[in-house]
Amino acid sequence: MRDRLEHRYDLTSLLYTALSSTPMYNIVQDSANRTSVSQVFRAHAHHRSTVFGGRLAHSWVALQTVIGFLLSGAITSAVAQKPDPKDWPAYSGADNGQRYSPLKQITAANANRLQAKWVYHMDGANGMEQVPVVVNGVMYISQFNRMDAIDARTGNIFWRYQRPPASGTPQRGTAFYNDKVFMVTSDSHLVALDARNGGVRWDVKSEGGYVLAGGAPLIAHGKVIVSGNRPDGFVQAFDAETGKYAWSWVAVPKPGEPDAGTWGGAKPQGGPMWMTGSYDPELNLLYYGTGQPNPQWTGSERPGDNLYTDCIVAINADTGKLVWYFQNTPHDVHDWDSTETLVLVDAPFKGQARKLLLQANRNGYYYVLDRSNGEFLLATPFVSKIDWADGLTSKGRPIVIPGHDPSVRGTTTCPSTAGATNWPAPTYSPDTKYFYVTVAEGCGINFITSSTAPDAGTGYIETSKAPWQAYVRALDATTGKKVWEYKPVRSNHYGPGLLSTAGGIVFAPEQFGQVTLLDAKSGKPLWHFNTGDLITASPVTYSVEGEQFIAIASGTNVFAFGLQEVNR
Amino acid sequence: MNRALVTAALLLTRMVGPILAQRPAPGPPNPFQGKPEAVHEGESLYAQKCTGCHGPNGTDGEIGPALVSGDRTDFGATDGQVFNTIKNGIPGTPMGPQKLSDDEIWKIASYIHALRGTALDNPLPGNAAHGEQVFWGKGQCGNCHMLGGKGGLTAPDLNNIAGTRKASTIIDALTKEQHREYGSGGAHLKTLPTMDSYFPVHVTTADGKVIDGILLNQDGYSLQMLGNDQRLRSFDRAKLRRVDIEAKSLMPTDYDKRLTAEEFKDLLAFLTRQGTKPPPPTAGRGGPPRGEER
Repeated sequence: MRDRLEHRYDLTSLLYTALSSTPMYNIVQDSANRTSVSQVFRAHAHHRSTVFGGRLAHSWVALQTVIGFLLSGAITSAVAQKPDPKDWPAYSGADNGQRYSPLKQITAANANRLQAKWVYHMDGANGMEQVPVVVNGVMYISQFNRMDAIDARTGNIFWRYQRPPASGTPQRGTAFYNDKVFMVTSDSHLVALDARNGGVRWDVKSEGGYVLAGGAPLIAHGKVIVSGNRPDGFVQAFDAETGKYAWSWVAVPKPGEPDAGTWGGAKPQGGPMWMTGSYDPELNLLYYGTGQPNPQWTGSERPGDNLYTDCIVAINADTGKLVWYFQNTPHDVHDWDSTETLVLVDAPFKGQARKLLLQANRNGYYYVLDRSNGEFLLATPFVSKIDWADGLTSKGRPIVIPGHDPSVRGTTTCPSTAGATNWPAPTYSPDTKYFYVTVAEGCGINFITSSTAPDAGTGYIETSKAPWQAYVRALDATTGKKVWEYKPVRSNHYGPGLLSTAGGIVFAPEQFGQVTLLDAKSGKPLWHFNTGDLITASPVTYSVEGEQFIAIASGTNVFAFGLQEVNR
Repeated sequence: MNRALVTAALLLTRMVGPILAQRPAPGPPNPFQGKPEAVHEGESLYAQKCTGCHGPNGTDGEIGPALVSGDRTDFGATDGQVFNTIKNGIPGTPMGPQKLSDDEIWKIASYIHALRGTALDNPLPGNAAHGEQVFWGKGQCGNCHMLGGKGGLTAPDLNNIAGTRKASTIIDALTKEQHREYGSGGAHLKTLPTMDSYFPVHVTTADGKVIDGILLNQDGYSLQMLGNDQRLRSFDRAKLRRVDIEAKSLMPTDYDKRLTAEEFKDLLAFLTRQGTKPPPPTAGRGGPPRGEER
């Protein structure tokens, strides 16, 4: 896959891709949806002409009319799968969730010359978790009901869209597609803004009264995918060009549906889906994590596995149908949502080439699955103490140690409800083949206020016996073995996510405001800067006119860093 | 136990707080709510009865306070409160009870509401459907402005123009060469504004190439624009030969002359209806929880 993508602009390989490896159903689907796909195609053609100084533009446009239809599936895939290396068009950079960039101007060798280039204050924001999206030198910073487009080189604003009412609730980012960026509103509208001037291109309400959460939208096969928690976890797809509603998938079955029997007669409910998924264009599968069953802390009224809560699910991007699921935590009573970023990697596993899906889960285990069919391959602890399970079966089902249900007196469980990790993004580097993740070591005490009333939960506290401590850990991606760790002093809780690049670095912001650059191979700290506020967002990198930047939201500001010698 | 006490205390505070604050009752609803004609009748009544003290358009006068500024709501925030104030006066002030019929008072309240609110609260009368034809046709507004996902890029999107501007501001923008924009008039800004001037700009690069567009931002070191090629661009000033900014918007300001009176009226009826009404405040806890599941 890597080879093919590196030859993105090579016609032969594109044609080859379309004829050989694009699944047939992709092409069939495209024929029914030709308009939007051809628009994608034109955007790509325009891009080519700029890349090649216009020399190929005319022949390309002519060719387009002949083979465009055949190729359309492949083009869509190629554009979505691997963005221009200078850009960061989606929450995780690419659809594979790797949060890895091939940019390598900033390296382990020159890291000491990194400096702050600009700061953009997002007035009215609050504990930003936004991941900025950058395309062609323009940075798009979203908020519920708001989008700021700023000059990614200087931090000066180009335009702002504000829809009433102003909201300070943190949101997690936007997505770029053709000439549009997408925004979710606090009253569950999905709005497509013109990326050039912030004009409203279309504005639709979520389907069926579902409440949109603040996860960054995801683009897959010409659709905008959004998700949410209420009334139950769900994913919805809309046509990216028109906003036309396409499909929904709901995380819990209706009574009578298959797998509704895993609730012991109780009404299936819960499974919140509040994080951005990942997408494999070749399999045309979306991957999402679902959250906990409800009632949250008491399980006696809902005996059974409670599908599809705390699951990793694969959904067909065209139809919204569930293709496979894998449940990390059956019958959860600790709120261990499986919503942590799903990282898609093609790598050999035990000598066999595999399409892998990697996840460091809140329940303390690092999972390796085959993403084509959901087959469980491996799980291994990535925190030092897991006391609720005694390993997993060969199918990946945890062997639960009894006595960890929340109680009126309080029950200690490791890891805590906050989790061994959580929403902060991990990163995978194809150079080191390490999976880097922000980890919280520690245990929690879970309480319920009554042992008989349903949903009598009150949550959890940190135990004083095992104080929490955050780490950045590098795991060997296919074995889960810890290679190195970095300890951000004072940070007791995860908050910020990570970024890796071809420059051999891992950008590791810390909970209490430091940003640190680590050597990707050794974990050695190379450079640091104090942003002066709590960090709860994940970093991105991009390039403008040959200058590489790394950006991160800290508190209510976005900081951009670059090398001193290319200062203007 | 402690938790229960805290909860009880919180509940008590929430119940008693509003009583302690002694907020005035909102008063009866305005029977002319949403009727643009009432605003116009209220305007002439206001001119006869109120301008002497409160100034034209409620902008401050010799005797009474300004009625439109956000921090002076003690004389009434709702239409009902304004009605009560006009009918009964404010004891101990020059504001006495006014000898007007209830309908007349309600119409004045409608006008004050319109002065305070955006155009969307009190859209102007006219044939909005015809105004839409004027917008895309004779008025040529859509050449530069986007609306409903269509139109040009070189001027602001008007999707929510009536939700963010007063009707009078929209009229000014269509008819007056000099009109206020955010941050003008020596205001001390609290937040960094966008540049809403949309001045044409011509940038000459070091090799003599001229790039035309609309100015979106600038400082001493850089300049940001929307090029006529519809690309957002950023320039390093040190690398430019020259920068020419036309300190005049491309926006025509003679719409009251280039359109017939009826066309102009209908265009305003259309524009003052283009907006997004804010969703009603959600009951219960405000928004999703802090932390994860947003």
